[in-house]
Amino acid sequence: MLSLLSTIRPFSLPPPLHTVPLRVGNVLEIVGPSPSAKTHILIQVAINCILPKHYGGLDQLALFIDLDSRFDIMRFSQILIHRIRIMHSQPTLEPHNGGADYDHTLYNLCMSRFLYIRCSNSLEFLQTLKTLNRRLEKEKEVHGLSVHLLMIDSIGAFHWVDRASMFSSLRDNNRKLFLQSVSEAVVRDIKKLLQVHPMLVIATKSVIYGDRYFTASNEVKGNFSKDNCEERCSRNVPRSHQHFQYREYMPSVWQSFVTHRILVRSSDNHIVTSNSQNSSFYLLEWLLPRSSFPEKIIVKDAGVFVDS
Amino acid sequence: MAPLKSLENEYPIIDSNFQSFCASHTIFSVEDFLLYDLDALIAFADNDHTCSHTLKQGIDQLLSIIDSQQPPLLNGLQLFEDAKQNKHVLPTGFEGIDALLGGGLSEGQLTELVGPSSSGKTQACLLSASTVAKHKSSVIYLDTSNSFSPQRIAHLVGQTSGYVFNSQADHRYLQEVLDRIICYSVFDLYQMFDVLHQLKMKLKCQIGKSDCHVRLLIVDSISSLITPILGGSGPQGHAMMISAGNLLKRLANEHNIAVLVTNHVVGGEGGTSKPALGESWKSVPHVRLLLCRDYGSNVANISILKHPSMASGKTASWTMYSFDDKM
Repeated sequence: MLSLLSTIRPFSLPPPLHTVPLRVGNVLEIVGPSPSAKTHILIQVAINCILPKHYGGLDQLALFIDLDSRFDIMRFSQILIHRIRIMHSQPTLEPHNGGADYDHTLYNLCMSRFLYIRCSNSLEFLQTLKTLNRRLEKEKEVHGLSVHLLMIDSIGAFHWVDRASMFSSLRDNNRKLFLQSVSEAVVRDIKKLLQVHPMLVIATKSVIYGDRYFTASNEVKGNFSKDNCEERCSRNVPRSHQHFQYREYMPSVWQSFVTHRILVRSSDNHIVTSNSQNSSFYLLEWLLPRSSFPEKIIVKDAGVFVDS
Repeated sequence: MAPLKSLENEYPIIDSNFQSFCASHTIFSVEDFLLYDLDALIAFADNDHTCSHTLKQGIDQLLSIIDSQQPPLLNGLQLFEDAKQNKHVLPTGFEGIDALLGGGLSEGQLTELVGPSSSGKTQACLLSASTVAKHKSSVIYLDTSNSFSPQRIAHLVGQTSGYVFNSQADHRYLQEVLDRIICYSVFDLYQMFDVLHQLKMKLKCQIGKSDCHVRLLIVDSISSLITPILGGSGPQGHAMMISAGNLLKRLANEHNIAVLVTNHVVGGEGGTSKPALGESWKSVPHVRLLLCRDYGSNVANISILKHPSMASGKTASWTMYSFDDKM
């Protein structure tokens, strides 16, 4: 009974996604230009998913499908170690070697619960989705846990390649574009997968069309601001980010599949980061359901945090 | 991927009967099959009362072919083990860059250097190449603008290791370093694809041999290859750009190579400058570094635009070697 309840009940994701309750079966899209901490947010959610319950996690498996071929396991490991160390420094748990070391058994357990597939084109992605059911079944048996989270980084990775593809546009009664057929097949296969393995889907999406406002100024934020470069790049152009628009490029079948949407972007009204503190600032805004205020988030060594 | 007809020899279950069943649903190849709704296809097979069983066997066969070809499912431990054993950090020889990036360029990753002309991009490439070659590893150098010069490499090797190249032994040392840097002149993107595909084949054959491992691949500059094809309204240019990025990242990951590419800057709105190649390219590299140099000064600044684990905005500076004074 209780297990049934837990699949229906919405659960809270770790900050910065804590404000809106999500359920398995939901599809959350994180939109933003690169870099805007999209992958970092995924890592944060994944770690929350794989940590055992008494460490504040969900005690489940997480699957990461890497379409950008950019995932850095070292970074993932670093954030996981940070999380584990924080747990051990809590007074309820006995200190482990004075807090300098961390629990390797717990670390190995968590790492083995993180599943990863890298696909380098749309057809590989479809191949993966078509046969994922069986592979997840196998993992479920090995770990005795179910896969709770499906992450896709990033969904539009093959947009240009698929758009340019001549494949299947030559078919007589198949006038649909390849891009369209791929999206339809992806959505169909994920839906089928969700029927067997109820999961929360989180997909990132990069902005691939530059907003004229946005790209020109955002890129140079804080970087050209060294004294000797300043005269070449006068960057005192006032910008109103309230009207930031990104251009949608995913086919409508994907758009209607998405149930929740977040926009992340650079924030530039902060003090330029000094070399001593390794942190970047971004703004996070719920578009679906719409929230009135963007939240400020910080990426530090230890992960993503909400700036209060 | 294969047309169904070509699978017939190896898998007799995919016979002409099954092929005509698939053809009636416009499935001629494995790609078509991937795009088709599997449940609908099984339902069609069920409706065929005469041979529904063999048709379903055929579908099952296709699925197992796909299963055998798909990318592997790894867990975090396996990924971490691969990274720890095979993906090392390559020192570039620049104290500034190496300190900023925690040791140097990461194998398995694509690092991009962005900067206006004469900001030190080519020098960074040449110095990285000579540093890696000095440590007895091979470097593949794709030169798009005839900026590669053995003299500059020799000069850098001399400056960084105190050789003066007077003796025979010093010359032999220099020759060995230069021999490990394989330079290709590449003038368009198609040539780059050619060179990279050849490299891929070569690396595949060399797996297991440990004589001279390629650890660094440089493209100076990638933007001069891509910019000419980006014009026009069609998606072809962007598609080739993304494919080039994917190929580089694949080489980097599968053969544990650090890839270093350079990009120029273009004028943006309101007098600002931004990296060329636009918004789509931004999500290709793992690391983006911005170089800039003050006019008339030998001090170059480098800052992080994007990094998997470091905050953007971190900066370092270094003094450039001047070639003109001494050569």
